[in-house]
Amino acid sequence: MFPYLLRRLLIAIPVLLGITVINFVIMKLAPGNPVEMLIDPNTPPELIEAKKQMLGLHSPAYVQYFKWLQGLAHGQLGYSFSSYAPVSHLIGERIGPTLLLAFAALFAGLLVALPVGIFSATRRNTRFDYLMTGLSFVGTSIPPFFLGLGLIYVFALKLGWLPPGGMRDLNGGGGLGDTLLHLLLPATVLAVAIVGKKIRYVRASMLDVLKQDYLRTARAKGAREFAVIYRHALRNALLPILTVFGSEIPLLLGGSILIEQIFQWPGIGQLAMQSILSRDYPTLMALNLVAAAVVLATNLLVDLLYSAADPRVRYDA
Amino acid sequence: MISSSRLVMASLLVPLIVLLAACGQSGNNASPSPSLSEASSQASPNAPNADASASSSDRPGGAAKEKAVTIGIVNSPITLNQINDQGDSASKNVQALLNDALLDIDSKFEFLPKLADSVETQDKQTYVVKLNANAKWNDGQPFTTKDVLFTLKTALNPKVETSFRLSFIEGLNDAGKLEEGQTDISGLKIVDDHTFEVKTKTPIDPNIFKETFATKVYFLPEHVLKDVPPEQLATHPYFQKPEVTIGPFKFAAFAKDQYAEVVRNENYYRPVAKLGKIFVKVLPAANLVAQLQTGDIQLNSLPVGLIPISDYEKVKALPNVNVDSSGPSEPAELFFNNKVFNDVKVRQAVAYALNRELIVEQLLKGQGEVIDGSVPSDNPYYNKDIPLYSYDPEKAKSLLRESGWDAKKTIRFLVPSGNKIREQAADILTQNLKDAGFKIEVQKYDFGTLAQKVKKGDYDLTIFNRDYYIEPSLYFSLFQSDNKSNFIHYANPKADELIKQGAVEADPAKRRGIYNELQAILHDDLPTLSIYSEKRIQAVSKDVLVGKPLNIGMFNNVNEWDLK
Repeated sequence: MFPYLLRRLLIAIPVLLGITVINFVIMKLAPGNPVEMLIDPNTPPELIEAKKQMLGLHSPAYVQYFKWLQGLAHGQLGYSFSSYAPVSHLIGERIGPTLLLAFAALFAGLLVALPVGIFSATRRNTRFDYLMTGLSFVGTSIPPFFLGLGLIYVFALKLGWLPPGGMRDLNGGGGLGDTLLHLLLPATVLAVAIVGKKIRYVRASMLDVLKQDYLRTARAKGAREFAVIYRHALRNALLPILTVFGSEIPLLLGGSILIEQIFQWPGIGQLAMQSILSRDYPTLMALNLVAAAVVLATNLLVDLLYSAADPRVRYDA
Repeated sequence: MISSSRLVMASLLVPLIVLLAACGQSGNNASPSPSLSEASSQASPNAPNADASASSSDRPGGAAKEKAVTIGIVNSPITLNQINDQGDSASKNVQALLNDALLDIDSKFEFLPKLADSVETQDKQTYVVKLNANAKWNDGQPFTTKDVLFTLKTALNPKVETSFRLSFIEGLNDAGKLEEGQTDISGLKIVDDHTFEVKTKTPIDPNIFKETFATKVYFLPEHVLKDVPPEQLATHPYFQKPEVTIGPFKFAAFAKDQYAEVVRNENYYRPVAKLGKIFVKVLPAANLVAQLQTGDIQLNSLPVGLIPISDYEKVKALPNVNVDSSGPSEPAELFFNNKVFNDVKVRQAVAYALNRELIVEQLLKGQGEVIDGSVPSDNPYYNKDIPLYSYDPEKAKSLLRESGWDAKKTIRFLVPSGNKIREQAADILTQNLKDAGFKIEVQKYDFGTLAQKVKKGDYDLTIFNRDYYIEPSLYFSLFQSDNKSNFIHYANPKADELIKQGAVEADPAKRRGIYNELQAILHDDLPTLSIYSEKRIQAVSKDVLVGKPLNIGMFNNVNEWDLK
C-alpha cells in the first residue's frame, strides 16, 4: 500500500511540472499581454516599457518560466499582475468557497442519486422507475445557468426567502447560518445536474450486478432482500459509481465558473475568469497548478477507495 | 458482512469529511481572512470605530445598526493603490471614498476645495497651493506638504508604477517621470507646512492643472510608507489594506469580485459622514434591477454599474427607486485604420452609410445622442456649430463609387466582446456597411486581444469607448501624427499644429478657438467617427438622500449622504 502511494506521489511531480510547462506555453501563445490591456493614446510608450521591465516581461519566455519555477521551489507563487496581492493569498481566499460549494453539491448529489438509483434498479420498469428516469433526464438537460436564474427569480425575488447571491449578508451577516443560506441555491443548481447524470449511472450499475449468479446464491442461502441488495449488490456496483463521482470533482472545480458568476460566489472560478481577461500570468500559473494538483489528488483518492470498496483490488505492486 | 457495510459508510464519509474541512476553511472566508481585512469589522459593525466612537457620544454605545448604503457595481475594483488606479473605473470609485484630492469636481465641472483651500496662479505657470490647515490623516496625524513631497517623489520615481500623468511639471521627462538617479523635482517648491508651488514647463490652461493634478493626485501617508524601497512599494501590504488614508471614509474590507466595505472616518477634517458604512458590491449587470427592487443595493455606480438598457422600463416601474439619465458619456467611437481607409471619401461614405439614429432610438431607447467627434457634447470645448453627418445611403454609394473603392476588399471589423449594446450596435453597423457595398468580416475578441491587435495595426475598423475626460487635449492626442500610440495612423500637419497649440494655450478663449478649428478639420477628415453617446440610467433608492450615481463627481459630497 505505502510503496504504491509513494510511487503515485513521485509520479505526480513530473506530471505537475509538465502541466505547468504546457500551461505556460499556451498562456504565452494567447494574444494580448498584461501591460497592453488599455488603448490609451495618453499613456507614453516609455511607461509601458517600464512596466514590462518591472514585471520581468522583457526577458525571454523560458527565462520567465524558470524564474517562476525558482520561486515555486522557494514556496513563492509571486504577486498578481493586476492587484499586486500575493497570489497565495488570492487563491487561499478563493479555494475555500469553491471547495465548500463543490463538495456540498457532490455530497447532496450522492445522497439523492445513490438511494434513488438503487430503488429504480430494484423496481425496474415500475412507475417509480419511469418517473425517476424521466426526472433524471430533466436534471441533465436543464442548463445550470438557466436553472440558477430561475431559482433566483423564484426564491430570492418573488418569495424573498433566500439571498440572490454572494456568500454573506454584507451588513451584519457572516455566520455559519448566513453562509448556508447563501450556499443553498448555488449548491442546489450544481447538485441537480449531478443527480440527473448519476441516477442513471447508479441504476445501470446496479442492474448489471442484479443479474449476477451470486445474488441468486445469496437469496437461495436465505439472506433477506435488504441484505442482498445493500451488502452484496451495492458493494459490487460501487466501483464504476466511485469512478464517475470521482471524475465529477475536477468538473465541479472548473465547471462551476458559470454558477459562481451567476450567484456571485467568491470562488476560484471567478478569479480564473478575471485573471484570464487581464492576462494575470502569475495568478493563472498558480491556479492551474492548484487545479492540476486537486485532479491528481482526487484520482489517487478514488483509486484508494476502489480497494476499500472491493478487497480484490490490491495495490501491492 | 458487517465490515462491508462499514466500508460503504466509510466511502460515503470521505466526501463528508472533506466537506467539513472545507466548511472550516470557509468559515475564515465568510469573515474574510486576516490578510485582507480585519476580522473585527465583520464581527461587530462598530468595532473598527471603537477608538473614535468611544469618545464621541452622539451614537448609543454601538448597539444601533449603522446606516449603510450599498452601491452596485458590475466589474470588480482591481486595486486600492491610490497612486496607481491602472485606469480602472471600478477601482477609482472605491478610491474616491477613501481618498481626498486637493480639489474635487462636481457634475457641472465646477472645482470645489478639498485638501486645498485654494489653487491659484498669476502667470499660468506657477501654481500656488494652500492646504487646509486642519487636514489630517484618519489616524490623526496632520496632513502637510511633507506628505505632498513624499507622494510626488515616490510616484514619479522611475521604479514606481503610477497612473499620475504629470509630464507638464518642470523637471520631469516626457513620460512624466524623474530621470533615473534623480530624486528632486525641480518644479516643486515647498514654501511652508501648508503651502507649496508647482512650476510647469510652459504656461498651461489652469484647468489642465486643476483636472490632472489637483483632482487626480491622491496622497500617500509619509509616516506609514517612508521606509519602503521604491521597487517594493507596489507589493507592500499597505496597498492591500490601506487603513491610513485621508478621506470621508476609511478602509474596512476588500474582497475582490465580491465587495469593498468602507466605514466612516471619525477623524475627518470636514464634516464627518452621516452614513456609517458604504459597501461597493460586485454583481452581474442583469441582477442590478432585481437587487434595487429588493433593497440589496441602493444605487448603481457609473460608469461600471450600468443598468442594461433593456431593463429601462422595468427599473422605471419600481416604486422604491428614482430613475434619471446621466449627461452624455464618452461615445462609442468607430476607429478607421487610416492606412486602409486612406481616402477621405471612403471614410465619409461610411459616415453617410450608418443609421446611427436608429441605434439611439431603438437600441438605446432614446437614452443617448448621435455625435460625430470624440468630445462629448457636454464638454465645454465641444464645437456645436458643426452639422452632423446624416443617414444617406445613396450619398454613401455615390461617394464610394467616386473613390474607386475595391468592393471585393474585405474589411476586418474588430468588435470587443462584453458590452452588449455595443455588440448589437456593431451588428447594425455591419449591416449598414454591407448595404452600402462594403465587404465586412466581423471579428469579436476580448478586450486584451483586441487592444494588442489594434496597437499592432492588425485591423481595418474597430469600435470601442475611450475614457471620459474634461480636459480636451486628452481627446486629441490620438490624432497627433508623431504620437507613437496613434493607432489609427492619421496624419495631418494642420491638425498636428493645432493639437500642439491647443495643448499649451493658456488662454481659455483662444483655446476654444483652436479646438473649434481642430474639430472642424477632424470632422471633414473623419479619422474616427462617433456612433452614439449614451445617457446612462441612474437609479437611486428613494431612501437615499443627497447621493446619486453620476458620470463625474459622484462622491464630492459623500459625507452629506444620508438615509431616510
